[in-house]
Amino acid sequence: MTNPLDQNSENKGGNRIEGGIDAVVIGAGADGLAASAYLGKAGLRTVLVGAGPELGGRIAAREIAPGVTGIDGEHLITVLDPDVISELDLYRYGVEFAARRLDTTYFFENGGVLRFDGDLTQAALLNLDDDSDREALEAFMGDVLETAAFLRPAFHGGGYKGPGGDKQRALEKAVGQAPPEMAARIQRYLYATAEDILRARFEDSQLRTLLLAETSFRSAAAPHEPFSFMSLLRRYAGEAAGLQGAAAYAKGGAVSVIDALRRAAQGAKVDMRAAAPVKSILIEGDRVAGVVMDDGGQLRAPIVLAAIDARKVFQDMIGPGVIDIGLQRILTARRPEIASARMQIILKGVAQDEATRKNMMRRLVYAPSPEALSKAFMDARAGRVPERVIVEAVFPTALDEGAALDKRQVMSVMAHPLPFDEAPDADRREAIRSAILDSIEMFAAGFSGRVEVEDLRLTSDDAAAAGAHVAAYAAKPDVLQQWALAAAVTGGPRISGFYFCGPEAQIGAGLSCAAGRAAAKAALRAYKKGAA
Amino acid sequence: MNGQFDFLVIGDDEPSLAAAAAAAKAHARVALLTSADRKKRAAAASPAIANFVWRRLDLQDYDLTLEPVSARVTLLKEGAPVATYANARETAEGLAEKGSPDHLLWRDFVEDMTLLAGAPAYAPAGYEKPGAPDIKAFAALLADPARLEQAARLFGSCGDILDDYFSDERLRSHLAAHALGAGGRGDREAGSAQALAEFLDADSWRVRAPKGGVALRAVLEQVCQDMGVETTHKKPVDVVANGKFSQVSFDGDDKIKVKHLFFATPAAARQWGVSDGRSAQGSGMLSEGAHADFTVRFKLNDTIEAPLNDPGAIFQVIDDGGDIQAARNAALQGRLCDEMPVEFEFTSNGEVIARSAYLPAAFFEDGEWRAWTGQDRQAAASIIKDRLSSRMPGFASLIRRTETELSAPPSGASPFVNCSRIIIQPHRHNAISAAVKLIDQVMAGDD
Repeated sequence: MTNPLDQNSENKGGNRIEGGIDAVVIGAGADGLAASAYLGKAGLRTVLVGAGPELGGRIAAREIAPGVTGIDGEHLITVLDPDVISELDLYRYGVEFAARRLDTTYFFENGGVLRFDGDLTQAALLNLDDDSDREALEAFMGDVLETAAFLRPAFHGGGYKGPGGDKQRALEKAVGQAPPEMAARIQRYLYATAEDILRARFEDSQLRTLLLAETSFRSAAAPHEPFSFMSLLRRYAGEAAGLQGAAAYAKGGAVSVIDALRRAAQGAKVDMRAAAPVKSILIEGDRVAGVVMDDGGQLRAPIVLAAIDARKVFQDMIGPGVIDIGLQRILTARRPEIASARMQIILKGVAQDEATRKNMMRRLVYAPSPEALSKAFMDARAGRVPERVIVEAVFPTALDEGAALDKRQVMSVMAHPLPFDEAPDADRREAIRSAILDSIEMFAAGFSGRVEVEDLRLTSDDAAAAGAHVAAYAAKPDVLQQWALAAAVTGGPRISGFYFCGPEAQIGAGLSCAAGRAAAKAALRAYKKGAA
Repeated sequence: MNGQFDFLVIGDDEPSLAAAAAAAKAHARVALLTSADRKKRAAAASPAIANFVWRRLDLQDYDLTLEPVSARVTLLKEGAPVATYANARETAEGLAEKGSPDHLLWRDFVEDMTLLAGAPAYAPAGYEKPGAPDIKAFAALLADPARLEQAARLFGSCGDILDDYFSDERLRSHLAAHALGAGGRGDREAGSAQALAEFLDADSWRVRAPKGGVALRAVLEQVCQDMGVETTHKKPVDVVANGKFSQVSFDGDDKIKVKHLFFATPAAARQWGVSDGRSAQGSGMLSEGAHADFTVRFKLNDTIEAPLNDPGAIFQVIDDGGDIQAARNAALQGRLCDEMPVEFEFTSNGEVIARSAYLPAAFFEDGEWRAWTGQDRQAAASIIKDRLSSRMPGFASLIRRTETELSAPPSGASPFVNCSRIIIQPHRHNAISAAVKLIDQVMAGDD
């Protein structure tokens, strides 16, 4: 892929010191790009440095077969911060939805099928046998969507403190004023297990099964554990194309959002440099002073934003001497155990029947039974590949005209839960591959016969491509642990002028940019205060 | 029994009796529902009684003497038993003697855990004042990275904390087995750290009446009676909400109106088909759900020598640390685990009481859930017998009689199914003082 910003990518290194910079942003993924665009837009002379040969992070286009482009990282837009879209004018910079408000078809182990409208408040459209289930679902969705929207500020994470506005105080005020009924719900949703909450609400086992799958999807919290239910609220706090809790497919895939962010940063006159790895962050006294590049050059600036994984930043670039023991512990205390995997599959032929064609325009989810799902988490934790996993599948070639192929289809799959491996061997890859294919076969019998190419992408592949520590791309733990981690990395070391918005600052999975926005806003508040 | 009450306390274990007595002593009208067929038997060790409970109930007037269990001992598959004691110095010295590299850390660990257990986290209590959970505390938690970190540790896994402190794997296994065994939790599951932090509290050290002494249960029953607690053995058949009250109908046309239905332990609730996760009140939100407690009493033909020659200890049997999460997983999946952790102790009359909380609440077979059967009980008892025999050679041949007791949800609908105002105390190591505190909290909420 050609990079329109190649003129900026030449090596400016050497042993020289570059000054006159207001802010350096480390990491050219979505959050780094968004943060740099905010800073540039506010008039700061901003330099964005990315380690890889190209700008963009784990969400990237890649040729998965001759002439067929796949998109790594994410396939759907579910939690992209709407403030980022509007404030950075991303629609003007090229974000467009090929499909919004995707309906979801759920497939169950027993052969059952249930379709959900893309608008979660439209439960009445569901084809449920029992009216009491419909009522229960409507009431439940009402409660959950309302609570999720209420907690939205808490899901934006970050413990940024500083002059000119304290995000946490504002959050405290917002949440502290919850009406009693909401307060009771929040407390219950926070501590209870997803299984307990859903069992209490639904007699119907299919509704329970699909909501358990949605709750556990991409989370490391097993549905029978406390705090697991919050993951669903985090997901439903997001919005896609203006609709809460929905999923949308971007024209050109999720990578088009990255492209738009890059154009926004370019429009904000950000100096973007690829292949410019940072060796360390310069700290003078209790202030950040810039960064030292791998080639020995220095970029001196009063503001440094780090948008890469926390271990790399705090342990390698800042050094354990400077960070406190609490942060150190929180970074290393827990070895990740659960991960998701992506698979992109090229299928021969075209859909023969109308039902299949319609389903290809939807989001498809295979929801294992609650028992199978619990077991899958137990297996994955113990390092075994589960027999059945949750599968989320979409067909970019059907959703996006621009991606259509002749007599072939691309199916993009995300599977969860799988064991977390730092360096999976060939046997492990094979086991994961066949577990995913088996789970797809559960709802698309005979599909294996049409597979032309399959491209499995594990956490370790994403991390290698982005030059990140693998742990940063493991499935997120329960929301309470995520809050603690996000607060520690964003508010931990009190180095003035330094802000963190790497993956650990984000609550929940998916392409969000909220952390990048929050870090940039905090930096700008401090900058303006200093300038004034 | 008829009339109107503030509380119906359901259960006849020590925490239930203590809570009922404490409420009655504070002039609440209390009804107590106990099972009809309780046999008189030698008691197992019970949770300790905090000083404030002692005072509240004036237990000194009842000739009550209690002695602490001598040690917590774990019998692993290989190597010598691991023991810890109520006294931190004794424990540290014991560890040093055994060559454990962690003896220097013991006192710090106990101190840290005590702090953690008392941390001002936004912890779910068993009871919230109606309509007013403390959302401000939650907001404050969100706003403070230090408190968030503490909360994340407290509501994280027991295994993470133990890994953080100790390098001695045997010590880690020992602590996890004792901290989690009674509640049936897994050491790798979220929320299990809380049990670890709490179990090191002095009030969590179990006690028992000395040989020939008055049993704690008998004393508490007497206190209940003296305080005017009305006791019934009749089976509740229906409970319906009626304004601020619940109307409870018993077998034989007795009807009472009560403000609060109170379970002092999750086991008491489980026996009536009420799991803490199902309570709409939202109590006990760190649900231990989905397991059963199983107790086997072994009457022996002859005395058998206790491990370490210490019949006053509480023993845990695990093969290694991995057993705990594996057994928890099996329970959640609805099956028996051959390597389940088992706790046992010797009673004053030479019986052996063995328990495990790592049994499934129901069995999952051929894609269906089914209730416990007599065969399951036999199978579970046999596993427990084998576990004890493996640590005490000759044990099996001395068994004269075996009695089993299961605390699992009954098959069929619970009489409490339509009742949303139920208070359930989650599992606590210091269950007696926690139950008294909880019922006090409810009374304060009523005022």
